[in-house]
Amino acid sequence: MSKPKVASDWMAGCAGCHMSLLDMDERIIQIAELVDLRSTPITDLKHPDESGVDVGILEGGINNTSNEEVAKMMRKRCKILVALGDCAVFGGVPAMRNFFTIEETLRRAYVETESTDAEGKIPDDPELAKPTRVRAVHEVVPVDIFVPGCPPDADTIFYVLSELAQGRRPVMKDDKLHWH
Amino acid sequence: MITLTIDGQKIEVPEGTTVLNAARKAGIHIPTLCDHPHLKPYGGCRLCMVEIEGFRTLQASCTIPASNNMVVRTTSDQIRKARKFVLTLIFSERNHFCPYCQVSGSDCELQNAAYGEGMTHWPLQPNWQPYPMDASHPYFILEHNRCILCRRCIRACSELVGANTLGVEERGAKTFVIADLNVPLGESSCVSCGMCVQVCPTGALIDRRSAYRGQNTTVDHHQTVCVGCSVGCGLDILTRDQQLIRIDGNWDAKVNGGVTCKVGRFYPAFDDRERIKTPLVRKNGTLQPVSWEEALNAAAEKIKTASGDGLAALASTRLPLESLALFRQLFADRLRSEMVTSTEEGSRTAILSKWAEKLGKAFEGNIDQVHEAGAFFIMGADLINEHEVLGFFIRRRFPEGIKLIVVDEDQNQLGDLAHCALTPQKKSLAFLVKGLIAAVAKLGQNRIPFEGQPDEEVQKASSACGVASDLLLEAAFQLTNSEKPIIIYDPAMTNDEMMSLLITLSQTTGATMISIKGGANAMGAAQLGMDKSFKLNGHQVAYIAIGDEEPKEKIIQQIENCSGIIVQASYYSRLTAMADVVLPVVNWLEQDGHFINLDGRLQTATKALQPPETVWTNEAVLTALAEKLGMIIESDWESVATQRPSPVSIAA
Repeated sequence: MSKPKVASDWMAGCAGCHMSLLDMDERIIQIAELVDLRSTPITDLKHPDESGVDVGILEGGINNTSNEEVAKMMRKRCKILVALGDCAVFGGVPAMRNFFTIEETLRRAYVETESTDAEGKIPDDPELAKPTRVRAVHEVVPVDIFVPGCPPDADTIFYVLSELAQGRRPVMKDDKLHWH
Repeated sequence: MITLTIDGQKIEVPEGTTVLNAARKAGIHIPTLCDHPHLKPYGGCRLCMVEIEGFRTLQASCTIPASNNMVVRTTSDQIRKARKFVLTLIFSERNHFCPYCQVSGSDCELQNAAYGEGMTHWPLQPNWQPYPMDASHPYFILEHNRCILCRRCIRACSELVGANTLGVEERGAKTFVIADLNVPLGESSCVSCGMCVQVCPTGALIDRRSAYRGQNTTVDHHQTVCVGCSVGCGLDILTRDQQLIRIDGNWDAKVNGGVTCKVGRFYPAFDDRERIKTPLVRKNGTLQPVSWEEALNAAAEKIKTASGDGLAALASTRLPLESLALFRQLFADRLRSEMVTSTEEGSRTAILSKWAEKLGKAFEGNIDQVHEAGAFFIMGADLINEHEVLGFFIRRRFPEGIKLIVVDEDQNQLGDLAHCALTPQKKSLAFLVKGLIAAVAKLGQNRIPFEGQPDEEVQKASSACGVASDLLLEAAFQLTNSEKPIIIYDPAMTNDEMMSLLITLSQTTGATMISIKGGANAMGAAQLGMDKSFKLNGHQVAYIAIGDEEPKEKIIQQIENCSGIIVQASYYSRLTAMADVVLPVVNWLEQDGHFINLDGRLQTATKALQPPETVWTNEAVLTALAEKLGMIIESDWESVATQRPSPVSIAA
């Protein structure tokens, strides 16, 4: 049997969950032996194989049209979708902006910040993704496994990956379940 | 006793026990949120639902009483589904984002409940409506985004404190916790006791000083006694790395049952006085840091210059008995000073001790009786502004129909709540009490013989004190028509005549007497005989063990002309600025010791924090100073404190 293919990507998050993944130290070699690591933000391959992967991992919430595309592509190309970390699971810190209108947040970021001079303007290039309300991944595409945590511990991520690599569904409970 | 079966286990409980408490007794865990062991069952959150045979639907175990032969199941697919659904709805209502919440990690009962049900995410996302945060209060913050509307805060505010500041407005999803008629907390009738913060299950009510500085899993707990007043509340001190994190009322403490006021809970954390960390001696007009050796020698030299008559010594009533006993031994017994007293100068206790001696027995009751009394006669004691917890204990009983009679020549805020607020003319309190005694006799309710014509005496008293005779009769009626009435008074407002009248009133109505004593160890100081008024008459040297008490202006003025001033203190103050020698000592959180509270409880305080290295305990300072004077003193506080006849029976 060939090794299960795993791909990951990040969206509206801080990359901390991927850092926590790396924090499993030498155990990452065990994971590499168990799985075929395909596209990730920290490897050269940037998109999951068109032919599909077994496990797709998404970090971060969905805060614009580009994130939507990433999430939809991952969902389409993977069998099991993992939402990794509080932003993917709940919306997390980026979702704090949902308390304001998108117009207000853009104006604050590009025009009103203390370091912005009179030239500050909201970017409007048509090439740019359109910002949206920040959503948890499961508000946009169905999610199979939720791994909350800000970030989830390296131990938890190792457990999730090694279970998935061995064809089992990880059970998130007790010391593996935390939302902070 | 009744017997019921929970999860196949037969359990025997007294009639009236709820299913939830029966399960707890059997060690069966049922998750809860709105339930709190010190509040009445409410049945608001629906997390504690169980299956009961014969019932069509799931039942809230916190409110349903157990009945004989009841068969209860606490775990089934249906129950787990219901619990998850309840939690799902709660999470969807407001904005519970754990990563940046103060209680996340171990202190949040909502998060713990979700973990208990194995919830990995929210099936329903919140609707992103921002809720306001009320940061108008000086001590704590009400963060509506974290509120689950369990109403524990509201129930604590009324059931435990009787303040009734918190309530809700609107209904359903629009329900909102409000203060008074929806004013900011900081502008409300809030008494700042912080009980709401102590019972909040989520991060909706957080205290400003402790927030984000440590959680239950990372702090140490120390049980000690508050030194704010003579109620002597038991406190739970939370510390981390030798820092004060938070103070809660100790639920297990007998005197206060977990309730405390702002003085115990918030004042210490917000105390910003500057700490004295090294001994100081005045040289060339200014205070200079010196070694303990030098400071003690300087203090001993000063003391030697004054003979017995020239030495005055004053100790704080915030000091433990151990310190007070050594203090008395050194200054009164050994150095033969005539002027050895406490900072309260027996203003409240001296007359009580005198009457205890006269009667040859204790004549006052205890605080537990407050929980059973049907009527209260409050004379002079302003329980809104001092001895607040005693006031809470009375206020919270209003729903039970208690009667409150308040007598005060001055403004007394309790009067606003009283059924009978009697305001006699100045200096006519005695006439009023005489009138009451006569009124009791007029009603034919007197338990001891009344001499004279009750009618005439009521009229006479009424015109002498300016309180209508009808009001006197009304007060007398309420006092005698209630179970176990209590007289709570401020002894500072009494004299011998007044004491005699109050004792007669208590005898004729069958009322228990309780008085407020002032400082935490005012009663202790009284037992040690340190209760005379502090008057200087040619004294050259003043030794003042002020501890962590804020010195009163009166003391500062009185010692101004002393040629030698030695101060034993924790904080810099106007008093230490005048001193020739300053000896730095522990504050109340850093000391072990014993205190006698207002109803005679001999309570043990335990050290919660390590003092700074160069700071000594009061006992250590006094013992070392005695050695410098060639004396050996030993604390025999226990025998000394119980020798003198006391108005209350003293017991541990």
